[in-house]
Amino acid sequence: MSKDFDIQNIAKLASINLSEDEQEKLANDLSIILDHVKALSDLELNTKQNEIYIHPLEKELELQEDELVESLTHEEALSNAPESKDGKFVVPPSME
Amino acid sequence: MDITNLPIRKLNALFNNKDLKPSELYSKIFENAAGSEASLHAHLTLFEEENIKKAKKSDDRFEKGTSEGLLDGIPLAIKDNINIKGYKTTCSSKMLSNYTSPYDATVIKKLKESEALFTGKTNLDEFAMGSSTENSAFGLTKNPWDIEFVPGGSSGGSAASVGARSSVAALGSDTGGSIRQPASFCGLVGFKPTYGTVSRYGLIAFASSLDQIGPITKTVDDSRILFSAISGKDSRDATSIANDQVDIPSDKTAKIGVIKELMEEGISDEARNEVNKVIETLKNSGYEIKEISIPIIKLAISIYYLIAPAECSANLARFDGVRYGLRIEGKTSYEMMENTRAEGFGKEVKRRILLGTYALSAGYYDEYYGKALQARKEMIDEFTKAFNEVDYLISPTTPTQAFKAGEKTSNPLEMYMSDLCTIPANLAGLPAISIPTGVTADNLPLGVQIMSRALSDESLLNFSEIIEKEIQFNQQPKGWV
Repeated sequence: MSKDFDIQNIAKLASINLSEDEQEKLANDLSIILDHVKALSDLELNTKQNEIYIHPLEKELELQEDELVESLTHEEALSNAPESKDGKFVVPPSME
Repeated sequence: MDITNLPIRKLNALFNNKDLKPSELYSKIFENAAGSEASLHAHLTLFEEENIKKAKKSDDRFEKGTSEGLLDGIPLAIKDNINIKGYKTTCSSKMLSNYTSPYDATVIKKLKESEALFTGKTNLDEFAMGSSTENSAFGLTKNPWDIEFVPGGSSGGSAASVGARSSVAALGSDTGGSIRQPASFCGLVGFKPTYGTVSRYGLIAFASSLDQIGPITKTVDDSRILFSAISGKDSRDATSIANDQVDIPSDKTAKIGVIKELMEEGISDEARNEVNKVIETLKNSGYEIKEISIPIIKLAISIYYLIAPAECSANLARFDGVRYGLRIEGKTSYEMMENTRAEGFGKEVKRRILLGTYALSAGYYDEYYGKALQARKEMIDEFTKAFNEVDYLISPTTPTQAFKAGEKTSNPLEMYMSDLCTIPANLAGLPAISIPTGVTADNLPLGVQIMSRALSDESLLNFSEIIEKEIQFNQQPKGWV
């Protein structure tokens, strides 16, 4: 089983608070999955990094003209906010 | 023949000849929904009341001869990860249980322009992550063929709805098989178009280089009609492309390949038999069939479960309790985010976010994500080679028939394996379709998958229609109409 990861650290990076029970279960699941994907490590690959496209049809993404188009109104953009005030999102302080 | 069993072109002809009104079809569809929803739970929300007026307007257009074409007055079900303005889009997640869409997805805008009607929003695995619809935060959807079994996923609600005739057709989304697998499990046609031909604007993103919206329908022609209505380049989706189709033969001059690696270990006899049945039929019609080997397909699950979680971990970072969705308070912003994400996401979503976060983290990026991208490129190259030899590739859609709820929930890999045959088309961006071909000894349907080169969607549909006509699969789940 691959255990070379620190589930608490990954959860911190992902900003998800995990209970101890969840940590144990998810660490186990991740081990199973990582063991499986290890098959890739043994693969001899000739592809160079610069030959890789993110678009599966290997399309270069095109830039668009900088034009004003209709978009969400300020009000619409705030309509689902858990908390807003004076046209802005409200969040708790960043530091205690 | 019940009108809700009819294909779209036939319904449109009845409307045009004034033998049927869209509002009559609309009433019958909601009658079916009233009879099936309590047992199947295909829809999360039904739009019955608010669309009656629209159905009547459709009646008027047909009366006056001013209808908007084939989809005018046709009730469609929409997967609940696609935004319809003014309605909830929950992605079957607690995170978005109170989210109301302030805009229409591009596909919805196009369907509204075609004057299609919407039956409502359908259930899915949370954020489209799953193969059984068991990961929904709002309860299971059942398979209309046998409610002991799952409808597949993640577009399980869309498939169950078309199966039970509580919609004429539906939209789903397909990241690793989420249209084709439930279509196969529910005895329907499921079509994942070439990546980029249908705009993803307004589809809540899971893995952006793999996600594609497409139809789940009763017939190949219905999929063709929907694809034609929703495809096209969209300035709001930078990865969308013009739908410039390449023409490949679908008649007897077409060459057919059977993918060797998808007929071997891990595939049930029943799934293999369905493919063999189609091969025999094609041979008898004079088609040339050969075996094609694409060795890297054996690594598809590994490649996918690095790339998809990596993209998902980045895409789902937006759910932070600030701009929309759930918020669980905390003393600081950071604590608030951690609490919100702990409470809002279900188990499978957390699992994939953590896996993706790990695959992208410093020190592991090259070993995991980088390697997966390289392997994906090699898979694309192997498919290109295969399509130099043949025009279409045939395989099972799913390794087995539908499974029972709870059967594959203890080991995540077991569930992931059910997408073995469908994932390659997403990794390579290819069009792929599942067409129903038979039922198993348990009286559950099974489908066969056909893939073709990028941007040959229309030829693929033509070829699939030939198989559909030859095979004559005309069974449907009983007791819902």
